[in-house]
Amino acid sequence: MLLDIIVIVLRETLEASILIAVLLSVSLSQSIKFSWTPIALLAGFAGAVIYGTRLGAISEWFDYAGQEVVNAGMQLLVYVLICILIPLQWQSRSISKGMMRLLLSAIVFIALIREGGELYVFYTGFLQKEEVLVGALTSGFIGLAVGLSVGAIVYYTLVVREQSQAKLLHGLVLTLVAAGMMVQATQLLIQVDWISAGEPLWDSNWLIPESSVVGQVIYAIFGYEATPSLVEVWAYSFSIAGVIMVAALFSQYCKRHSFISKRASDV
Amino acid sequence: MMRCNSYLSKVCLGVGLLLAAQSVVADKPIFELIIRDHLFYPSELVIPAGQKIKLLITNEDTTPEEFESYELNREKVILGGKKTVIFIGPLKAGEYPFFGEFNMATAQGKIIAK
Repeated sequence: MLLDIIVIVLRETLEASILIAVLLSVSLSQSIKFSWTPIALLAGFAGAVIYGTRLGAISEWFDYAGQEVVNAGMQLLVYVLICILIPLQWQSRSISKGMMRLLLSAIVFIALIREGGELYVFYTGFLQKEEVLVGALTSGFIGLAVGLSVGAIVYYTLVVREQSQAKLLHGLVLTLVAAGMMVQATQLLIQVDWISAGEPLWDSNWLIPESSVVGQVIYAIFGYEATPSLVEVWAYSFSIAGVIMVAALFSQYCKRHSFISKRASDV
Repeated sequence: MMRCNSYLSKVCLGVGLLLAAQSVVADKPIFELIIRDHLFYPSELVIPAGQKIKLLITNEDTTPEEFESYELNREKVILGGKKTVIFIGPLKAGEYPFFGEFNMATAQGKIIAK
C-alpha cells in the first residue's frame, strides 16, 4: 500500500516537476531571478485545492465530460503560453523579460492546478482513514522527493553555459513538452468522444513499455504514447508545426517593429 | 431571398448533422462497471471488437478512485459516490487490463474485446 502511494505521488509530481525544471533553466539562462517561483507555486497549490474541491461538480459538466474538457483546456493554454515563451528567448529588451516572468509564472500555476488537484482528491480519501493518514503522508513525501530529484536532474542537464546553445536547447525541449501536452489534451477529448479516433497505428510497448519508469518519464516530458492513434500523431505533428510558425511570425513582427522604430528615430 | 435560402439550407444541414451525430452516439453500446469495496464489478467485461463503446462507471465507495489503463489509454478520477462516463475503442480483439490507481492492490480488472 505504502509503495503504491509512493508510485502515485511520484507519477503525479513527475510531470509538474520536469516542467518546472525546464522553466527554471530557461529563467536562469535569461538572467531572470527566481523570485517569480514562490508566488507561482503558492498560487498553484491554492488553485489545486480549489480545483480538487470542485472536481466532483466539474466532472458532471458536459454530460460527464467536464474533467477532460477542463484539463484539455488547461493543456491547450499551457501550449499557447509555451508558443509565446519560446521566441521571447531571443528578445533582449527589458519588456520581454517582464513578459517571460509572467509566462513562466502562468505555466507553473496552471500545471500545478491540474496535477495538484488530482493529488488533493487522492489524499481526501485518507481523511476518512486516520489510522493510515500519517503513513500515506510519509509515503507521499518520499514520492514527492523522488519526483523533485528527477526534476533536479533535468534542470542540471539543461543548464548550459553557452547562451546561444541554451536558447536552442530550451526551445527544442519546450517544443517537445508543448507537443506532448497537446497529445495528452487530444487523448482526453478522445476519452469523452469529443474527438473520434481509430485503432492504434503501432504498439511500441515491446520497446519501451508505457508503464515502465522510462516510459513514465518520457510520457511526462514528451507525451510518449506506446499505442497512438492517427489523430494523436497528427496532433503531435501540428503542435510542433504550430510552435515553429508562431516563432517565425513573432520574429518577423519583431524585425518589422524594430525597423519601424529605427526609421522613426532616424526621422 | 437567395441568401436567406442559402442560410436556411445551412441551418438544416447543421441540424441534420447534429441529429446524425446524436444517433451515432446513441448507437454506441453501453456497458457498466461498479466500484465497490475497492473492487471492480464485473472484473472482466466482454465488449465487441472493432466498435466504440460507452462505459458507465459508478463509484459506490465513499473514497475517490482513478480508473486507469495503459493499454486503453484511459485515465479518469471518479469521486466517492459519483458516476462517470468514458468511451473505449474501437479495439482489436484481445485483453486490455485496467486498474484503480488509488487502490492498485485490489482494484484490478480487464476488458476482453471479442
